[in-house]
Amino acid sequence: MSNLVQFSGHQHLRLRLALSILSGKPVRIDKIRSEDKNPGLRDFEISLLRLLEKVTNGTVIEISVTGTAVLLKPGIIAGGPVTHDCPLSRSIGYFLEPVVLLAPFAKKPFQLTLRGITTDEHDLSVDLFRTVTLPHLQLFGISDGLELRIKKRGAPPGGGGEVQFLCPVVKQVKTLNFVDPGKIKRIRGVAHAVRVNPQFSNRMIEAARSVLNRYIPDIYLYSDVYKGDESGKSPGYALSLLAESTTSALHCAEAVSQPGVAPEDIALQASRALLSAIETGGCVDRQHQTLVLLMMALGSEDVGRCRMGEPTPRTIQFLRDVRTFFGTSFKIAAADDKESSHLLYSCYGTGYTNSNRTLA
Amino acid sequence: MEDRPHKAHRSSTKDKGKGKEKQHGFNEKAFAPKSGRRADRQGRRNVERDQTRLHVPLVNRTPDSEPPPVIVAIVGPPGVGKTTLLKSLVRRYTKQTLNEAKGPVTVVSGKKRRLTFIECNNDLNSMIDIGKIADLVLLMIDGSFGFEMETFEFLNVLQSHGFPKVIGILTHLDLIKKAATLKDTKKALKKRFWTEIYQGAKLFYLSGVLNGRYPDTEIMNLSRFVGVMKFRPLVFRNAHPYLLADRIEDLTPREQVRLSKGKCDRTVTVYGFVRGTNLRMGTKVHIPGVGDLDMKSVTILGDPCPLPDADSEKRRKLSEKKKLLIHAPMSDVGGVMYDKDAVWINVPGSFTRGNTDVPQGEGEQMVMDMQDARATLEDGVAQSHIRLLGSSSKHLTVEALDEDESDDGFDDESGEEEGDESGLDSDEDGGEDDEDIVVNPQSTGRSSRRHVERTLPTASTSKGGRADVEYADSDSDLGDEDDEDVLGKRFQMEDGDALDIPSDAEDDLMDDEEEGEEESAPKWKANLAAKAQAASNSKRRKDWTKLIYSTDLTPEEVLSGKEEHPVEAEEMDGDEEDFFRLEPASRREEEEEVDSSKEKWRGEDLKRWEDDEILDSIRGLFITGPAVQEGGEEDDEDTGGDFEDLEAGESSAAPLPSEAESKATSLAAKKEELKRKFDEQYDDPEASKVDFYTEKKEEMSRQLQFNLEAFQDIPAEQRALVEGYRPGTYVRIELVDVPCEMIENFDPTYPIIVGGLLATEERFGYVQVRIKRHRWYVRTLKNNDPLIFSLGWRRFQTVPIYSLDDHSIRMRMLKYTPEHMHCYATFYGPVSLPNTGFCAFNSLSADTPGFRVSATGVVLDIDRSVKIVKKIKLTGIPYKIFKNTAFVRDMFSTALEVAKFEGANIRTVSGIRGQVKKALSKPDGAFRATFEDKVLKSDIIFLRAWYSIQPRKFYNPVTSLLLSDKSQWTGMRLTGQVRRDESIKTPLNVNSTYKRIERPERRFNPLIIPKKLQAQLPYASKPRAMKPQKQQTYMQKRAVVMEPEERKAVALLQQIRALRKDQVAKRKEKKNEKKAEHRKKVEKEEEKKSDKVKERKKEVMRATGKKSKRDAEAEEGRGSKRRKTSS
Repeated sequence: MSNLVQFSGHQHLRLRLALSILSGKPVRIDKIRSEDKNPGLRDFEISLLRLLEKVTNGTVIEISVTGTAVLLKPGIIAGGPVTHDCPLSRSIGYFLEPVVLLAPFAKKPFQLTLRGITTDEHDLSVDLFRTVTLPHLQLFGISDGLELRIKKRGAPPGGGGEVQFLCPVVKQVKTLNFVDPGKIKRIRGVAHAVRVNPQFSNRMIEAARSVLNRYIPDIYLYSDVYKGDESGKSPGYALSLLAESTTSALHCAEAVSQPGVAPEDIALQASRALLSAIETGGCVDRQHQTLVLLMMALGSEDVGRCRMGEPTPRTIQFLRDVRTFFGTSFKIAAADDKESSHLLYSCYGTGYTNSNRTLA
Repeated sequence: MEDRPHKAHRSSTKDKGKGKEKQHGFNEKAFAPKSGRRADRQGRRNVERDQTRLHVPLVNRTPDSEPPPVIVAIVGPPGVGKTTLLKSLVRRYTKQTLNEAKGPVTVVSGKKRRLTFIECNNDLNSMIDIGKIADLVLLMIDGSFGFEMETFEFLNVLQSHGFPKVIGILTHLDLIKKAATLKDTKKALKKRFWTEIYQGAKLFYLSGVLNGRYPDTEIMNLSRFVGVMKFRPLVFRNAHPYLLADRIEDLTPREQVRLSKGKCDRTVTVYGFVRGTNLRMGTKVHIPGVGDLDMKSVTILGDPCPLPDADSEKRRKLSEKKKLLIHAPMSDVGGVMYDKDAVWINVPGSFTRGNTDVPQGEGEQMVMDMQDARATLEDGVAQSHIRLLGSSSKHLTVEALDEDESDDGFDDESGEEEGDESGLDSDEDGGEDDEDIVVNPQSTGRSSRRHVERTLPTASTSKGGRADVEYADSDSDLGDEDDEDVLGKRFQMEDGDALDIPSDAEDDLMDDEEEGEEESAPKWKANLAAKAQAASNSKRRKDWTKLIYSTDLTPEEVLSGKEEHPVEAEEMDGDEEDFFRLEPASRREEEEEVDSSKEKWRGEDLKRWEDDEILDSIRGLFITGPAVQEGGEEDDEDTGGDFEDLEAGESSAAPLPSEAESKATSLAAKKEELKRKFDEQYDDPEASKVDFYTEKKEEMSRQLQFNLEAFQDIPAEQRALVEGYRPGTYVRIELVDVPCEMIENFDPTYPIIVGGLLATEERFGYVQVRIKRHRWYVRTLKNNDPLIFSLGWRRFQTVPIYSLDDHSIRMRMLKYTPEHMHCYATFYGPVSLPNTGFCAFNSLSADTPGFRVSATGVVLDIDRSVKIVKKIKLTGIPYKIFKNTAFVRDMFSTALEVAKFEGANIRTVSGIRGQVKKALSKPDGAFRATFEDKVLKSDIIFLRAWYSIQPRKFYNPVTSLLLSDKSQWTGMRLTGQVRRDESIKTPLNVNSTYKRIERPERRFNPLIIPKKLQAQLPYASKPRAMKPQKQQTYMQKRAVVMEPEERKAVALLQQIRALRKDQVAKRKEKKNEKKAEHRKKVEKEEEKKSDKVKERKKEVMRATGKKSKRDAEAEEGRGSKRRKTSS
């Protein structure tokens, strides 16, 4: 294995595994929490590896005895109907994020059913996946049949939610040229409450409107109440907001119920976070930088451009990893105008074509 | 033209004579349709014709501005005149005669076009490789002989790898003496050629050879065709980088080679123009015939055969007769020939120094320049003004890498020469002028011993070190230390005017660095301090690219600036790559939660939104908000003025009047835009709409233009890191771990192609292809027999399994390929993208009789597992039969096996269906089965099952370039071949032999119905058992007595009959006699005729014998034997 890629540490595990599978280069990650009291891979990481094994064909995963090192020899991305039970230590968003990167390049369209926690404070909730992440994929021409169905909601700690992720297969992603962030033209949101008083979601909506109404009249916040079996095993509620600009750039924010905090405060938290996200600006919000940058790097052999804010630490490491796996580096320059701190990310696509796709 | 009086005169008379004064342009009336129906038909036809002209729009990755030379391959059987054609064409373009043409020859053919000629030898391997890279094929056909098998094989190879343009060339037409035969031959060959290529394909006729070349006018015509040829991008080549190596060099240390007795892996550099897409570092390359290799580094070299620019155009006019540009390192051009490990300099006749009246070749010039050294190398280095050669533009220096070296050494070079070799003016004619022109290539890629130092050293990327992307467009480069480590001291030719480069920001920086190095870096340090300050002052002016890609800072450090910030500033997403320190438990606990994608907003971040002013400050980001003077955002005029004031106050970037001004201009622009839109709609709403095709085309050209401009502002080496090496650049690729045989058995007549591999193509897997046996290949292809594939860049032998889709339920294995049908084949090997074409061969050797292309097809699918099954029938016999139940044995051997097949469908030969129920305890493997009817004991019961099979993991690359005799590659042999070679008998299974089947005749007992039952049967069903009659009937036993008249009459009739019989017999006899006579006569005539024929035959044979004897004598000079085609 001459092209083995080595990493250390448990950080950025998901993206590294996804990059390995996309590029076909085997990856070895060692020193996973080797200095920790509780060394080695966590249960959700093991579960993620299982999931990756399920959605691919021919993947070989070797975990060392201590669990502090992983070797992944990637196979091909198979797709098709897959069901996976996510552990309750992380939410479904944790698992969906790497899968979203792989799904467009599968052999068969993805029909992934994930069960577990749908919303928690660490990862993007399934609402934001549906309303924000999937539209980002549409920028790259992945649109027909792209869907995330929230069948059941599950709040931590009990979980019990279920989502179905449907993704079509593409031959090649389109080159992105997205430099005009535009202006915010509307705000949408979903307030959901499970196994609590349904009025909670209305209270959240009221509170959020009190902040956001001063900017724009086009605000529509849905109250999404799941009942009975569909509402999972634990009580909880959350508000996720997104702002869309005239050029359909999306910014999003979210706040999840905390014990002892009133729903109004949660709503205020969410709406203020949204304002912060809007203030940061750019064409892509901070949480989706990696997704957009990866798709740009995988585009056809043309120059793609995107205007964003400063990279997050995740993004910085991701850019380095992309170069390790694909040999592509981005040119990051300040955007033309003087006022904003925006950066223009441009790269020459690697011309990645979906070799897994079956012809005829 | 118009100045000449006689031209004007002629045109006027012509006009008068024809009487066409009135006609201007297209005469509409003349072509107007006569009827409505005809108009309709005409319209339809035009539309249809327009549609046929359209092709799927394809992006052409080859740049228009500086394209790589067009590869013109000259292909044909031996003795057809390929070398003669190559020499003639080179002569036509460069006015030089090649002594020996080996390897690619690059010439400049026009202002925008260069050509690389390459001659293809008769080896099938070479033909395959050439077919994959040639842009234009000059297919040579011996007109006096006709098409040969290789020609058709080559055409089939071309077809499966994307069809480049083909021009046919008929030679040896002078051997056909009779004009009528010549005409017929031409016609027949043209017809065949057209069916192979397309109707109307261009076919050239070359009549004869004069002075070892084809006639100049014919070559000129051919070159004109080549010059204007347009090329459509081919899909495979448009997705892969590749180059045709025009030079190869072994860089392995001699000592290592000596110690390993020449068997060590080599480090090899290959040179060539990048073609196809951008060549990137980090990918593997495949050299067909050698294997997959790693690129250690890629270096951009100066163009050895540059297109004429404005400057060189001027020069050409100065002296028309001088040598034109030619680049052929493997051939002997200008007295210099590059071999794999040496440069040969040929000196014609006696050689004396200072003999300036004889024009000197490049090689001689080099030798003389070497001799010109006045001091030792050491002295020179000490003075730091040494030039390796007199004509070198740069002297050797001991200093840091010059980062901004460009190869604009054309002018200075001639200047240097003037200075060094006194009295050589550029006005001087003859050899020195030649030198001026050839100097450019000499200064760049063509000189082997010097290029290492003289090429742009920083424009190369090497895999070993961290490939650094450094954008020096801002001063705050915090990664300076990093750079200093890289900048080692080394000898380097410094360009004469490299120091007075225009001092814009980046160059300043470069200079800074250089000087800093020289002055042991006090200035450098000061600079750094200033930079650090600048960086901390304005966060925006960070050089992100450099920080991210060329420093070892953790992401947090990158974000917070160079100095270590307390971690509280950003979220805890630390990436201690190489070291984990033991940290307080609390911190680790915090760290546990890092791998989250959700943005975490701190309380204080959100707190500030309680302030109204802050809330209002982002109003400008909404469409309802005030206009913000930012680029790329549209203004809205409907908002109040107070916000604008606020904005102005905050930004304070521009004074108010200018703001108003800019507003006015933007307003004007907006109005203009609106007006244009209105006009467009008002005039013709359809006009603004373009059809899909043009829209796509425009989109593509826009994107291409954008690609071109996007990275123009960054230096070459950084650009190479971001986008790779663009097609058209001349590069040197350093390959490591090259098998030594490639160098030791190097033969310039075999092309060396460096094909870039995509990331997926480096992997192995099961490849499913759609395959069809070629209809000219005489034998069927057998399952599990090795087959040589030419797929992608590679040629390899593997073992395919053929299959067919069985009702979309399963893939069923086939023993042989079907006769005139596609089938699937699955094999283990390197993965290729779906939709890649391939062709397959059973043998590549030249002595294979018949057509060698055995199959063609296309890749459908790649996977890591295969689902091919073959049918298997398990048989058993019932040993105990109940009503509908039977006990079956001999199908399985253990109860476990039975358990696996419980519930499986079984069947008897007679068609009674049943099911496996349960294993029986007593005879091992027996089971109970139920059937829909009672089975017989003589029935055979079988279970139809599917057994999945895996293709053998056999992959054997065709390493033909590693052999000393490159055409003698042998892969795995067929089993039959092995048996034949080893004279082993085919093992014979006794059960498989055909024997006469002895079937005992079945006797059926007569059906006996009991009397009682018979009595009960209805009459119709009663058996009718009748015994044959035993007594004679009345008619049989009566006696007949005739009357006397009657008897007479009967006697008379008898007599008449007898007479008649006799008559007939006599007649017949007579006839026979006559017939015999006639036969005799005929025989005699026949004899006479046959004698005549014999005589004639003798005559003919005599003539042919004479002719063949003549031919054989003539053939002896011409060479090898040919195979007759089946056309």
